[in-house]
Amino acid sequence: MTEAKISSESSTVRVERLSFRYPGGPDVLTDISFTIAPGEIIGLVGPSGAGKSTLLQHLNGLLPSQLPNEVGHVSNVSHVVIDNLPVARQTIAEVRRRVGFLFQDPDDQLFCPTVFEDVAFGPLNLGLSEDEARQRVRDSLTSVGLAGYEPRSTLRLSLGERKRVCLAGVFACQPSVLALDEPFSSLDPRARRTLIGILKKFPGSQIIATHDLDVVVDLCHRVLLLDAGQLRAAGPTADILGNAALMERHGLEVPWRLRREN
Amino acid sequence: MCHRWPPLAKLLSAIAMILAATCVPVAHPLIGIVTCGIFFAHTLARIPLAYVARRLLFFWPPLFLMAISLPLSQAGQKGWLLFVTIVVRGTLSFSTALWLVNVMPFDQLLATLRRLRIPDVLLAILSLMYRFLFVLWDELDRMRTARAARLFRKPSLWATWRSAAHLVGRLLIRALDRADRIHGAMLARGWDGRSRWIEQPREDRP
Amino acid sequence: MHIQDGVLSPVVCAATGAIALGAVSYSVRRLKQSVGDRTIPLTGMMAALVFAGQMVNFPIGAPVSGHLLGGVLAATVVGPWAGCVAMTLVLFVQWALFSDGGLFSLGANVLHMAVIGSWGGHAVRLFVQCFIGDSRKGIVIGSVIAAWVSVMAAATLLCLEFRLSWSPSEIDVSKFFTLMVSFHSLIGLGEALITGVAISFVINQRPELIEWRAEGRQPPDGPRNSQEVRRLTPASSPNIDRVNPVNTTTVAITRTLAAGLIIALAIAAFLSPFASSSADGLEAALGQLGISEFNLTGRVPGMLKDYDKVPVPIAAWQTLAVSIAGIGGTLAVFVLAWLLGRAMPAATQALNSEAAGE
Repeated sequence: MTEAKISSESSTVRVERLSFRYPGGPDVLTDISFTIAPGEIIGLVGPSGAGKSTLLQHLNGLLPSQLPNEVGHVSNVSHVVIDNLPVARQTIAEVRRRVGFLFQDPDDQLFCPTVFEDVAFGPLNLGLSEDEARQRVRDSLTSVGLAGYEPRSTLRLSLGERKRVCLAGVFACQPSVLALDEPFSSLDPRARRTLIGILKKFPGSQIIATHDLDVVVDLCHRVLLLDAGQLRAAGPTADILGNAALMERHGLEVPWRLRREN
Repeated sequence: MCHRWPPLAKLLSAIAMILAATCVPVAHPLIGIVTCGIFFAHTLARIPLAYVARRLLFFWPPLFLMAISLPLSQAGQKGWLLFVTIVVRGTLSFSTALWLVNVMPFDQLLATLRRLRIPDVLLAILSLMYRFLFVLWDELDRMRTARAARLFRKPSLWATWRSAAHLVGRLLIRALDRADRIHGAMLARGWDGRSRWIEQPREDRP
Repeated sequence: MHIQDGVLSPVVCAATGAIALGAVSYSVRRLKQSVGDRTIPLTGMMAALVFAGQMVNFPIGAPVSGHLLGGVLAATVVGPWAGCVAMTLVLFVQWALFSDGGLFSLGANVLHMAVIGSWGGHAVRLFVQCFIGDSRKGIVIGSVIAAWVSVMAAATLLCLEFRLSWSPSEIDVSKFFTLMVSFHSLIGLGEALITGVAISFVINQRPELIEWRAEGRQPPDGPRNSQEVRRLTPASSPNIDRVNPVNTTTVAITRTLAAGLIIALAIAAFLSPFASSSADGLEAALGQLGISEFNLTGRVPGMLKDYDKVPVPIAAWQTLAVSIAGIGGTLAVFVLAWLLGRAMPAATQALNSEAAGE
């Protein structure tokens, strides 16, 4: 497989004192601060309903309540900064180009009838020319190991293939940060391993929300533990995931690989 | 061999055949020629006759139901002649449409429509609809199976109706939630409401 | 409900096609004003849903079963413009994928199911809500009545198209009308029931999906459960208004329109059996308008000259049957609407528990 260019650079992500709640509802996120260094891979773990997805959506400006000019917004502006670029209404296009977002259900993200159209969606919206867009589609499909899939219908793909096409669609925008929401859920072992291989080659920074702690051990440099909307712990992967008391307290288990090391 | 015709030619010939089938009077000898033409088109496209016959079996009952109201409401031969007219014309145009469906895959039809300057909004909605039609079907199937798995005796008619309508309602809720997520996914890849298309490489299907 | 090619004459097909094209173009234009927000995915999903929803079978007797049409359902959930577009695309895809309905009669089918279903259904529902109020009950009752009325209106229109397709020497429209109206008052009952139960299900489970769109009201203050939280993001609320812009002016106009429509329907349903017994009147009117060609097209030549005089068994029967079908159907729909509306608060608990199980 030839190495195709899938990322232009790597970015710093800074989240400062981020709180968020839906109008009239309880706090979903409370006072969250962390930084992702360029090239760093962060695991975001925590029980279901901890606010992991909501946090990820903030990185991409998908919850416009954080943007000015929106009615009823609760949290304040610019609590998320991508490379000195605060996430705000004026910067949203550039933020979304830099931050690639992989949704949990690939069917939500593959909304075009063919693989080609779907992967080309991002580049065309970036205003690239036809030739550039075609080149990007080729490159990003190659980088996920699906070269030649362009004319395939998005309906006739396996779950693993669909996830990889989604990732190709994200890569085609050449993001410098990846935000991945449960990328490994319901994948079979082989598809999971393929996906891990692809993510390991990605040069930019990544933040991965997942329940698959073995992957976190394998892939992530640092871990953020989120529970009930608050950041309970942050640190090197082995320190957090190996801390049985901490994991127990937040309804998680120490992954097998760290247990054997003890 | 019809499969390799240019898409617009397929569409136009289908329109011409349907026009001929609906305009020529049933009692006129020309109708035989039209029938032969449609049959010839089916042969050219190598559409098995058994397939056409099977589809006709599903097509006829509602058409009969509609057409039978004529002899029922019109006394004598007049009603029956109208009945025959409608059935013959309906059958011929249905066969033509069946031919078109078989020689023209849906995405080709979509591409043709795009070239015919159908509004972008409509095409964007159409391709989304086509894409998620099958996803919703699968969801519906799973929900029906789940319901059947817990159905131990034959329910009353009212209960069947109620649960079928609830099925539609639940599917509706899921569909609207999914529409929200798709919207998010579109925004995440820089969508600003304008559709942009480029010609794509096409898979040649038999 | 789908009309096949060959049932209507080419000229009638062209005329209905032109009207449908105009109505759909207008809907698309209204929809275009809201491009950039959720309208496109929402309309696409709604179209896919109506398509899938039509696959759900509603048994009537042993071999016969009915299904949802969905125009009123679509209009209630996504508004009349998006609803009309969604229904049009459903009909188009049904033709393109399954050859269901004709190509030339697509215009007539769009007119019957998309335009009357969505625009007409929306207008009728708003009209009914004038009397009952904009409560959840009002929405359910309104859509039940709208569903029935839209089917009856479509049937009436079909008879008119039929009348214009075939010359009066070939067909006695008043009897055909009798048959169609009796038949469709039953179909309409099914449509009303399905639409009503489906909408009251959604409105019980996730009221915010329907309420603000249906009334143009502000979203409720607080979310009721975790699922609702997601729907209540401020991201959606400003967009909803653009999907279905209902301010006081448009409501007033819609109400006037709705009143007009109801009166027209009442005339169509109850007076036309009397009117059509003197079919010459209609013909003369058409001739004065310069559209007497209608009578010349689609005529089956020859052979029919001797059958000018058709004996009518019981002259009063048609009128009576239509009136019975119309009145009976109307009463049934009102009772149905009332029952559904009454059952609403009590049903919430049961539905919630059932949904949790399935």
